[in-house]
Amino acid sequence: MDGTEVVSRELQQIDAVISKHKGHHGELLSILEETQLLSEQQFLSEEALNHVALRTGVPLSRIYSVVTFYSFFNLKPQGKHKITVCRGTACHTKGSKALLDDLGLMLGCETALEGGDAFYTTPDNQFTISTVACFGQCALAPVVAIDGVIHSNVTSGTLQKLLARVSRRRVKA
Amino acid sequence: MVTVRINGSEFQVQKNLTILEACTHAGIRIPTLCFMQDVARNASCGVCLVEVKGARSLVRSCTACVYEGMEIVTNSARIRDARKTNVELLLANHPKDCLTCLRNQNCELQTIAAELGVMESRFVQTKKRVPLDTTSPSLVRDPNKCILCGRCIAVCSNVQTVHAISDSQRGIKTRISTYMEKGLGNVACTNCGQCALVCPTAAIVERDDTDAVFEELMDPEKIVIVQTAPAIRVGIGEAMGMAPGSLVTGQMVAGLRRLGFKRVFDTQFAADLTIMEEGHELIHRLTNKGALPMITSCSPGWIKFAEHFFPDALPHLSTCKSPQQMFGAIAKTYYAAKMEYDPRNIVVVSVMPCTAKKYEARRPEMMGAFEHWKEKRAWSDQDAFYDVDYVLTTRELARMFKESGIQFASLPVEEFDNPLGESTGAAVIFGASGGVMEAALRTAYEVVTGKTLADLNFTSVRGMEGIKEAEVDMNGKKLKVAVAHSLGNARRLLEQIQAGQSPYAFIEIMTCPGGCLGGGGQPIPTTWDVRKKRAESIYAEDMGKPIRKSHENPQVAALYRELLKNPLGELSHHLLHTSYEKRGVFVWNTNGSRTKNLTHAK
Repeated sequence: MDGTEVVSRELQQIDAVISKHKGHHGELLSILEETQLLSEQQFLSEEALNHVALRTGVPLSRIYSVVTFYSFFNLKPQGKHKITVCRGTACHTKGSKALLDDLGLMLGCETALEGGDAFYTTPDNQFTISTVACFGQCALAPVVAIDGVIHSNVTSGTLQKLLARVSRRRVKA
Repeated sequence: MVTVRINGSEFQVQKNLTILEACTHAGIRIPTLCFMQDVARNASCGVCLVEVKGARSLVRSCTACVYEGMEIVTNSARIRDARKTNVELLLANHPKDCLTCLRNQNCELQTIAAELGVMESRFVQTKKRVPLDTTSPSLVRDPNKCILCGRCIAVCSNVQTVHAISDSQRGIKTRISTYMEKGLGNVACTNCGQCALVCPTAAIVERDDTDAVFEELMDPEKIVIVQTAPAIRVGIGEAMGMAPGSLVTGQMVAGLRRLGFKRVFDTQFAADLTIMEEGHELIHRLTNKGALPMITSCSPGWIKFAEHFFPDALPHLSTCKSPQQMFGAIAKTYYAAKMEYDPRNIVVVSVMPCTAKKYEARRPEMMGAFEHWKEKRAWSDQDAFYDVDYVLTTRELARMFKESGIQFASLPVEEFDNPLGESTGAAVIFGASGGVMEAALRTAYEVVTGKTLADLNFTSVRGMEGIKEAEVDMNGKKLKVAVAHSLGNARRLLEQIQAGQSPYAFIEIMTCPGGCLGGGGQPIPTTWDVRKKRAESIYAEDMGKPIRKSHENPQVAALYRELLKNPLGELSHHLLHTSYEKRGVFVWNTNGSRTKNLTHAK
């Protein structure tokens, strides 16, 4: 199957999503949400956004406004594994900045994570590293979520093990 | 009516008014910053705060409405303190380079800071500096100077229905963006410049070409000539500190001579020429079953709007170039030959009320004069030149006058040079909405019927109504015409055409509210009151002209006699007519193929 077929199949799926939500209150958000979930790498490509604009008649600038407002929407391909480091006050005082720096060293992206506020995907699309303001698990600080599982009282050592486990899984698969 | 107490006095005011409106009616001034009459009320700046008895906090008067028995205080220590703090919060991230800013002394943030007595800026910068958007040939955006008032989005979306910009991100990262940060030059922007006209600061400004023009004026090899659009003579006085709408044709000519232009010509000459071509094109379409309604093509913002959003309607556009481009083509052919100048040494500078004209002058097809000479003189593409070399807005011309120390108000009244300075009243009114229509009707009527018009004033197409209609009786044949200004109104007429329900034979469309006199390159502020004053001056100039019909312009007649022969003739076709491009709204595809003919449903 060549690339254009993939694209046209995706666009057909988007058309189906649009007709499903057409006329409903807040249709644009539902359409964008499902369009993102359709994509293998969990993001909204420019082609997809163009297509939504064309079919719904919503101006491009407004679509851009919406997808940049909500942190749920991604404009870049997401890594296979999602690592979220909590940067809330409690986690910060328990050393979450150091954990973020460790991730930078382990994945070779120190500069991208500088400043303690990150949204980064490794070039091989394996890991997406992001930060949140709080998980609501302050008693267990510092916490790091890996592929939706929250790990508590994380230290540099446990982080290294967790990452190794995920990477192994990756090699096996 | 409701009764309210403002600062202790009772007032009877209309229901449903905002506090700000009620206070204005009562003669009480409330300072505002982000608010703009008829354009935007986003309540984003927090300057128009007032105290309302019983309210939990201070109230933003631009959006809160009055109610029976409301007690309002517009001045107290608490209010003054809050207003100052809010301006200081804006100043924290606003570059403090006022002395070297394009909007120095014409900046609403500067003015409000002075008015409120803001004497310090206590808060530290919290936003990262970001690069300028220099992708547009007409406009430059500096997001660092933006105070997020939202006026540009409002005018672009609501008035023009172009939607080139919107807000993006949120919180501290909020900013005004084009789609995917592509920049104004890479999205479906019409370059109309209404955003620059409403911007309170220098976050959106015209691309400044004054330095380049000064340089040309200093070059002894070059023959630098200037053309001025109709709307400049009712705008430049204002930009030089005179009253809004001041009619200063003669002083403007004198000032341009003092700047060093070798010849001072008038775009109005080309406006008369446009009427000759466009009038005959209309007659031709009417008698040969051409695409109707025919729509005027003088306004380059409108042209780009049609190319982006209504590509299938392009056959309705008159093929006539705009007066600016006709002037350039004629100056570098007819005039160059007459004076035995080498067209390559002629520099045509336009003064326009318009930022879109900067873009129009750089459209690749606008090289009619070069194409004309190329074969005759065996020139190569190395010699290529545009018909119009530089476009200055009214604001830029004012800057050049000031920089050159010209005392504008005390300049003598001087006349345009000949032959390209001769014009009629029909050409003056091109500057106001409805003017091109009126000028065309004056000529078309007399050409078609062979009779002389008893009354030259077609008042039904004048004024600031969004869409105007008229019916003209031409030898028993009734012709319905319409006039629209601002692109939102244009969109309505275009949708009518798309639906096959347009009852009109001829439509005039101007991009900007009020027509060219309200153009994106005009002095700031341009409000509806100011537009009306400029329009009054335009029609006064028309009344004062000895000749008021384009086909009676003796120099235009000479141009046909000596070079063009007939309207719509072969030479006209090459020099004065053009073609359009189907652009669609996705204009940036880097792989070279353009996604075709896509329009928004709304």
